[in-house]
Amino acid sequence: MPLVRTLLVEPAGSVGRYALLLWKAFATLGDMKSYRKNIFDQMVHVGLESMPIVALAAAFSGAVTTVQAAYQLVSPLIPTSIIGSIVVPSMILELGAVLTGFILAGRVGARIAAELGTMRVTEQIDALEAMGLNSVGYLIVPRVLAGVFMFPVLYVVASFVGITGGMAVGVFGGFVPLGEFVAGAREFFQPFDPVFGLIKSLVFGFTITSISCYKGYFTKGGAEGVGRATTEAAVMSCVYLLVADLFLAVTLL
Amino acid sequence: MIKVDNISKSFGDKQVLFNVSLEIREGETTAVIGRSGSGKSVLMKHIIGLLIPDEGRVFVDGVNIDDISYAELRKVRQQFGVLFQGGALFDSMSAFENVAFPLRTFTSKSDSEIAYEVHQCLTMVELPDVGKKMPSELSGGMQKRVALARAIALRPRYILYDEPTSGLDPETSNTIDDLIKSLAEQLNVTSIVITHDMHSVLSIADRAAFIYNGRMHWVGTIDELHASTDKTLCDFVKANEYQIGPRS
Amino acid sequence: MKYSNEIKVGATIIIATVIFILGVRYFEDLPLFRGTHQLETELSNAAGLIPGNVVRVNGVVVGSVDAVRINPQTNGVRVGFHVDSGLPIPEGSRTMVSGFDALGVVRLDIALGPADNPRIPEGGFVEGRVTTDLVAELTDRAPLLFDQVDEIVGNVNAVLGDSRVLLGSDSDLQGALLSARRSMTTMDNLLRTQQANIASAIENVNGASGSFNTFMEGNADSLAAAVSGLNATMAQLESTLDGLDGTTAAIDELLGKLNRGEGTLGLLLNDETMYHRTDSLLTSLQALIDDFQVNPGKYLKEMRLVDLF
Ligand SMILES: Nc1ncnc2c1ncn2[C@@H]1O[C@H](COP(=O)(O)OP(=O)(O)OP(=O)(O)O)[C@@H](O)[C@H]1O
Ligand SMILES: [Mg+2]
Repeated sequence: MPLVRTLLVEPAGSVGRYALLLWKAFATLGDMKSYRKNIFDQMVHVGLESMPIVALAAAFSGAVTTVQAAYQLVSPLIPTSIIGSIVVPSMILELGAVLTGFILAGRVGARIAAELGTMRVTEQIDALEAMGLNSVGYLIVPRVLAGVFMFPVLYVVASFVGITGGMAVGVFGGFVPLGEFVAGAREFFQPFDPVFGLIKSLVFGFTITSISCYKGYFTKGGAEGVGRATTEAAVMSCVYLLVADLFLAVTLL
Repeated sequence: MIKVDNISKSFGDKQVLFNVSLEIREGETTAVIGRSGSGKSVLMKHIIGLLIPDEGRVFVDGVNIDDISYAELRKVRQQFGVLFQGGALFDSMSAFENVAFPLRTFTSKSDSEIAYEVHQCLTMVELPDVGKKMPSELSGGMQKRVALARAIALRPRYILYDEPTSGLDPETSNTIDDLIKSLAEQLNVTSIVITHDMHSVLSIADRAAFIYNGRMHWVGTIDELHASTDKTLCDFVKANEYQIGPRS
Repeated sequence: MKYSNEIKVGATIIIATVIFILGVRYFEDLPLFRGTHQLETELSNAAGLIPGNVVRVNGVVVGSVDAVRINPQTNGVRVGFHVDSGLPIPEGSRTMVSGFDALGVVRLDIALGPADNPRIPEGGFVEGRVTTDLVAELTDRAPLLFDQVDEIVGNVNAVLGDSRVLLGSDSDLQGALLSARRSMTTMDNLLRTQQANIASAIENVNGASGSFNTFMEGNADSLAAAVSGLNATMAQLESTLDGLDGTTAAIDELLGKLNRGEGTLGLLLNDETMYHRTDSLLTSLQALIDDFQVNPGKYLKEMRLVDLF
């Protein structure tokens, strides 16, 4: 019986509470007044403040991809343009979105869970409710919307910086001339790729923020509970990000 | 009028409230007293629907608040001002913004009107100059008072105070007691004050309710309290270094 | 100066949108700030063309393919593409697929119509050049054809060698073979002529160079004819030899003994360097066909020769 509980009953309960929370959140979507100001604050926290770290990580992973592609593949028989054919699609299809996702699972997911968790254990959420406010609409909707809007923006930044970084290392490191890099990239460029990346980042934005909100909103047990919620939010965001990544690849590609 | 009708509440295996009933009359101030952990705060959260009783019902102005939609419940809640035990100030906002928050959210007052009212509320709790400070920069007692200012900002019909004077020096405590009293008298606010402080009880309350181990042990007016011979109640009050009942 | 969050967020979103659009256009090889001209065409075979492949005029990239789908009404392939709006595509232009799918370099080529014709309007239709399914046809038939050539020439070699032995020998031969001697002599002469032809063909195989793409462009129609001609030649040659084989049992027997690769043509055929010097079967076939294309008369002549025989 305990096994049935941990394997079936509890997950079902979690999924149910998660779905109900989201349902409650989106039922208040029309009530713009309650979160209009909040959403821009959250967009700044989620989007603009994450930009430096996302750009840094993207630049380095673009550069590393270039160097590794050069190291592994380029021989007299293979044209150097292959570097462009590897760096650009991998940045656009996978790295740009997933890398951003991982960074933001840590940065934004943990922040959201800690924030909401603290608000829960210090009764701030109760205080909002007691005033007659819809705490879900006030706290969760702006965070999730900020994720949905700003993740694609960060994805674009990550892809742009990553490709530029890869190009720069390729050119200045003497691995591949700029023209070759671009020609290789163009040879295998599919217009759907960046669209797919955008869709992916949008889904990741939703996944990370909604899971972190869920973990934070239902925090129990004081400071320790906040710590646990924060860790779980970051870990679960990463796990479900990978699940979503696979799911999208299977359904859309 | 608020009527708590026979509610019971458990958290997991632990039952906290056992068939608690309480009637709070319009315009009166009711003190809820009881030992730490006896279930006072839990009872208060039931009154505004933050907790839902396992059994029993809570009526506000004749409406069972567990029976109405969330939107209607929020309308009911907007008539309440609540001071939480920990203050529950929004720590992302300054003291000023905390007090202004309900005004901004539920009224269409202009910024200057709001600034004026916030200043008034903060003056009432003797903190006219802390507006710019963040909650983390305030002492516990100051946080509590800013939270009180926030609870009364909208001049609600009902105010629930969870230990408004705990952690305050006797002098400030008296000011807060006077504030509670004047709000009740001048604005005809119906108040519920949870407290351990018998001095407060005796100076502000019309009636007292004594919760003992999750049960409503004793309810009566202050006069009745003075005359009570109940052993448990007397022990509780005696611990406050007050002497009630027949002298031995 | 302090900007409000709304302005900061709005500016960021706008910048990201611009980067996204320009970035996509850049990698699609579209002019960054100029518009494009949307056109359509219909081909009988897409030959592996996919969205994103480039569109070229005279070898210059001018746009890219947007959509490739089957047109259910005609069973043709409807291809949507766009070109730089600075380049007018006049009426009378023709499109064709070029390049080779397995190498990932398929593209849509446009042969421009007369320059003073009116421009095809936005969303307009460009005629596709009528082509047979050459790539598919060649790849399907290539091994078959080459096997046939191999086998036939092997047979020819055997017969030739056998004939030499017959002619050069004083020893007694079976009656059946003696009676066949006259016809054998004639046949030998014929086969000698053929030997020379085939040898030169194979020399061409060894020596020919050029790219598969070049023959694809331009001469597709005549090539198709050449291929079917070659096919017919080989079929006839083979049936002829089959008949020859049937005339005497002794030749059959000798074929078994002598088909070890002796004689000049045999050596040439079994010389493995021929296979090694050509990178792949397709390249070999291509070269053979190149030769065919350059000198189809030779083969057609031979066909007639065989007919006579
Ligand atoms: N959310 C909760 N989950 C589990 N148990 C709870 C919860 N809230 C309260 N309790 C339990 O209910 C009991 C009553 O708690 P409550 O906060 O009402 O006490 P109190 O009378 O307000 O005490 P104090 O005067 O110290 O504030 C306590 O034993 C507490 O452990
Ligand atoms: Mg309490």
